Amino acid sequence: MSRPDELLLAAQSPDTTRRWPVLLLRHGSLGVFALILLGFAVAAPNFLTPGNLANVFSQSAILGLLAFGLTCVIIGGGSNVVAGGLDLSLAANLGLCAAVFSRLNNAGLEPWLSVGLTLACGLAVGLLNGLAVLLLRLPPLLATLASMNLLAGLELVLTENTVVPTDAALLDLLSGGTWLGVPALAWVLLVTAGLLTLLIQHSVYGLRLYAVGEYPHAAEAAGIRVPAYVLSSYLLSGVCAAIAAFCSAAFFSGSTTGSGEMLLSVVAIAFLGVVFSRRWVASIPGTLLATLLIGFLINGFQLLNISSFWVNGVQGLLILLVVAASSALSRGEAS
Amino acid sequence: MSVGTASLGGRGGWQVVLPLTLPLVLLVITVLFAWRAPGFLSGGNLTSLLLNGFVPLAIVAIGMTCAVAAGGMDLSVGTALDFASFSFVVLLNAGHGLGLALVGALGAGLLVGLFNAGLIAVLRISPFLATLGTLFIGTSAQQLLSDGGQPIYIAADVRPGLTSLTLLGAPLPLLAVGVLALLYGVILGRGRLGRELLAQGTQPLLAYYSGLSVRRIATSVALAGALACGVAGVLLASTVNAYVPLSGNAFLLNAIGAVFIGTTLNRQGRANIPGTLLGVLFINVIANGLLLIGWNFYWQQVATGALIFIVLAFSFASRRLAG
Repeated sequence: MSRPDELLLAAQSPDTTRRWPVLLLRHGSLGVFALILLGFAVAAPNFLTPGNLANVFSQSAILGLLAFGLTCVIIGGGSNVVAGGLDLSLAANLGLCAAVFSRLNNAGLEPWLSVGLTLACGLAVGLLNGLAVLLLRLPPLLATLASMNLLAGLELVLTENTVVPTDAALLDLLSGGTWLGVPALAWVLLVTAGLLTLLIQHSVYGLRLYAVGEYPHAAEAAGIRVPAYVLSSYLLSGVCAAIAAFCSAAFFSGSTTGSGEMLLSVVAIAFLGVVFSRRWVASIPGTLLATLLIGFLINGFQLLNISSFWVNGVQGLLILLVVAASSALSRGEAS
Repeated sequence: MSVGTASLGGRGGWQVVLPLTLPLVLLVITVLFAWRAPGFLSGGNLTSLLLNGFVPLAIVAIGMTCAVAAGGMDLSVGTALDFASFSFVVLLNAGHGLGLALVGALGAGLLVGLFNAGLIAVLRISPFLATLGTLFIGTSAQQLLSDGGQPIYIAADVRPGLTSLTLLGAPLPLLAVGVLALLYGVILGRGRLGRELLAQGTQPLLAYYSGLSVRRIATSVALAGALACGVAGVLLASTVNAYVPLSGNAFLLNAIGAVFIGTTLNRQGRANIPGTLLGVLFINVIANGLLLIGWNFYWQQVATGALIFIVLAFSFASRRLAG
């Protein structure tokens, strides 16, 4: 069974002569990633220690999970940022889910019930977004912008804009547990990435989701029920936000304010991940690599005592470089 | 045939109703608040609503309107605003006088626009991602300039006091909104650039093959947006007598919301200045009115979000019915 993107690639460009700049750039971006790691490894002696690496993985978990959700929506809705798939409500959804979990848990509900209801909350937000996009025909950008405001308000109602501390066995396990020397948060990130990779990159569902996003008319003509796939991408995004909420609650021992500030980083990571994919499309492995790249950058800067104020700028420059290179490449292919 | 005429008649009806949605909703909530909320119509409240709420958001949203009309998006409005306000405060504190500070501030705002223009027109990066990159770089730059977010206050002896000035009885900030709205409205609605910009926004391929210069349009849009944000930066700095790092980002999502709410005023759903201004007013009136009604502060946010959702949903649904 070939990977979906290989199938599409084979269908699209039979001539292999055009592919070498693409391959060079793709491997080039992996090369840049490796160079950054090497640079930090040389400059900061404790950078490559297992403890530090585990640290980076678990600190990347929250952003990574949110970025996975956005990646699903981008794949299912198409990569046009204004008319295509976009979920601006992800970070607010995390904030709301974390608040819901903390409140329910503090109210003394059975642990499995609070976990279930929190997941349901994330799913409900996904459903709301999906229905707003499909039934009301709102552009995703607007639909999720509006729901973001709504969710941020609901979170305020639940938390009254303060930290809601909570204590649960699940959170202790997530924040303190390790297995095979790898912390639990890193496991959550990697396992979710693995499952989503199987689902999105290696299954019929995933292939159809890509088709729905990039060529909706062709997908419809081929008998794929486009609305169901688009809706499913928003549901996936909602679940990702709920899982990220558990990680966030474990990290901060409860719900915190200001989760909305993660939104633009999540958007940046999802679009940055495009560079690590074979066909310059959003993909789960690409998003994982982009998440880790940003995680390593932040961590490396800390170890080298470089001000963390530089991180945003480097991230911005990376996005611009990636997108400029990709648009130059696609122009080269078009001509 | 009779079905056809009936649906045609229905469409005509919706086409008349659609552009009236926003003004009607605005009227209804204003009347409701005037009736239920004590002090909503008092001079003090209206002045504060207009000067503190409406003015800065309106100016930023006017800039955003150009970007959306041209089919793009500007996520770096806050960056342009902050850079302008930073330059304004620093130049004033260095004793260069109000004139030079104004020029410097607008120049700093335009610099952000020029950066965006380069990314969009020369490197062909889509406006959304280009301005996202600018936003991140701008965030770093401000953190480094302000030691991680420390405000810079305007020294007491060089405070510009722009916001308390009045001209012919109207406060200066409100006049600034009026002038900018008129200027941008005429350019967008009547001028050649506006037509080209809308062509680019609605039919980019057609515009390209008709020989319109995509680069020139992208550059004008980026500079026009940045100039408006520069003005907003100056007004904001002279209102609070300080440069507060990263304060411009607070306007970003509301400005996008206002512009898109405003597109309901146009039958073709295009971004337009009068619609944007009504959209900004809508957002501000809801926030202010709910505050005065004495609702729980946290529920106000929910209600604001829900109302914006409802207006967007209704207007998009009716646009679909109108065909």
